[in-house]
Amino acid sequence: METLRQILSPDFLLRNSVYTSVLIGFACPLVGVFLVLRRLVFMGVALPQISSTGVAIALCVPMWLGVLQPEHAPHSEHLLAFLGSTVFSLSAILVLAFLDRRRRGLPEGRLGSAYVVAAVASILLLSKNRYAEVGWLDLMKGEIITVDNADLVLTGTSLAVVVLALALFHRELLLVSFDRAMAVTLGKNVVAWDVLLYLLIGLTVSMAVLSVGPLIAFGFLLIPALTAHLFAANMRQLTIFASLIGGAASFIGFCIAYRYDLPVGPADVVLLGILYALTFAGQRMAGWLFKHGS
Amino acid sequence: MSEPFITLDNLVIGYDSQPVLSGISLSIPGGSFTAILGANGSGKSTLLKTLLGLLPPLGGSIHISAETACPAVFGYVPQSAHFDPLYLLTGYDVALMGVYGRVSPGRPVPPAERALVRQCLEATGAQEFARQRFAELSGGQKQRVLIARALATKPSILVLDEPTAGVDAAATEALLAFISQIHQERGLTILLVTHDLPLVRRHAQQVIWLHQGKVLTGTAVELLRPEHLAEMLDIELG
Repeated sequence: METLRQILSPDFLLRNSVYTSVLIGFACPLVGVFLVLRRLVFMGVALPQISSTGVAIALCVPMWLGVLQPEHAPHSEHLLAFLGSTVFSLSAILVLAFLDRRRRGLPEGRLGSAYVVAAVASILLLSKNRYAEVGWLDLMKGEIITVDNADLVLTGTSLAVVVLALALFHRELLLVSFDRAMAVTLGKNVVAWDVLLYLLIGLTVSMAVLSVGPLIAFGFLLIPALTAHLFAANMRQLTIFASLIGGAASFIGFCIAYRYDLPVGPADVVLLGILYALTFAGQRMAGWLFKHGS
Repeated sequence: MSEPFITLDNLVIGYDSQPVLSGISLSIPGGSFTAILGANGSGKSTLLKTLLGLLPPLGGSIHISAETACPAVFGYVPQSAHFDPLYLLTGYDVALMGVYGRVSPGRPVPPAERALVRQCLEATGAQEFARQRFAELSGGQKQRVLIARALATKPSILVLDEPTAGVDAAATEALLAFISQIHQERGLTILLVTHDLPLVRRHAQQVIWLHQGKVLTGTAVELLRPEHLAEMLDIELG
């Protein structure tokens, strides 16, 4: 209780980090549902990693150009990282989706290659960047980072745009995902709707990577959606439960991490993993009892 | 027969600039029940996708006569196996998609459109299982929901892609009897893709037969005569 009281206190030093983490927890599963339904799970792995490579490259640009970064300008560094992350994740998702639509080559191979190359590229770039602060390497591991008010507003605004667009256009995005041919016969511009969905996924991923790191972003994109899918009765429940699971796990995970001095991101994802395993086991047990009880 | 509803003029169809069939010139009369027949790989699906606008024609033209200023609406009924069971949609949710073409993005579906969907489900006998998960319905039940969805589009033509695939014999007959019934009652143009000759013989008026790169058209009675079939399939009659 004492931990909870501290975290909820208005003077709590990391309160913006809590807010950001919870926002990411609520928003990621909303787009994650579409990744799961479209069977683009591997995209969910590769995209955050590519986004983090964008962060690494953006942070290296001043060094390559010979422009010294001000030592105490974390906000400009964050803005640079935001640009790198957003440009890379949006470009990557559009290119990967385009290649997927053309049905050429092996999609899993492309995504796997993109993931591994992006992962090692991030490590190499940051290891040689004398301006890359320790904080960015911490971010990649999912450590707590301090978030200033401007970054919180940027994250909140971006995610609000995503949630609003999903709420307004959920029907069209679902139709295009479920039955593309039907959407065409109804006169829908399926390419435009696909692009909108990919842009929303890309924007969410880039915000998540900046806030919790690539591995944790992947966890939030997929595990809540997969967990909710085990017990949701319809699409509305799937979306709402996935988002609630993500938001609740991010807050509880933060409390646990703070209480036991653990990295926040991994604590969140382990919590999500335990919840998924328990839900899966509960569902199987309920099925077994129903079968043998009747 | 009435005026042509769809006219194909020297149409070339295929994928990625590779023609599957070429020189297709035919017409489908308005209000007719037309079957597209052909073996696997004969180009039935390619022709259907081209008519629906899912594939661009590689050559020639498709002319669809419109009775009003609005473009013709295709009520498309795909194969039920085509859908991913991951989607947590009920039969009603799927049928509701039929009205999405008339509802602007971001606007709620009006009550009148919801009522129309319920009427369509009732007309196809799908009302009683419409609240069940679509993925858990039988093949025949899914087809009834999909036909209800197609009817909810207020179609100018109903296009059915192998609606009896994966459906048992009794359900197949019931389904085709129902399609024939709505064809007669509503005067709706029906385009049925199948490779089931007995079904075509019983229900279709006109046949488009894709066979070894050729396109044959005629009435069901003349194209499906045993002598003609034997000649086409290179078999001897007993």
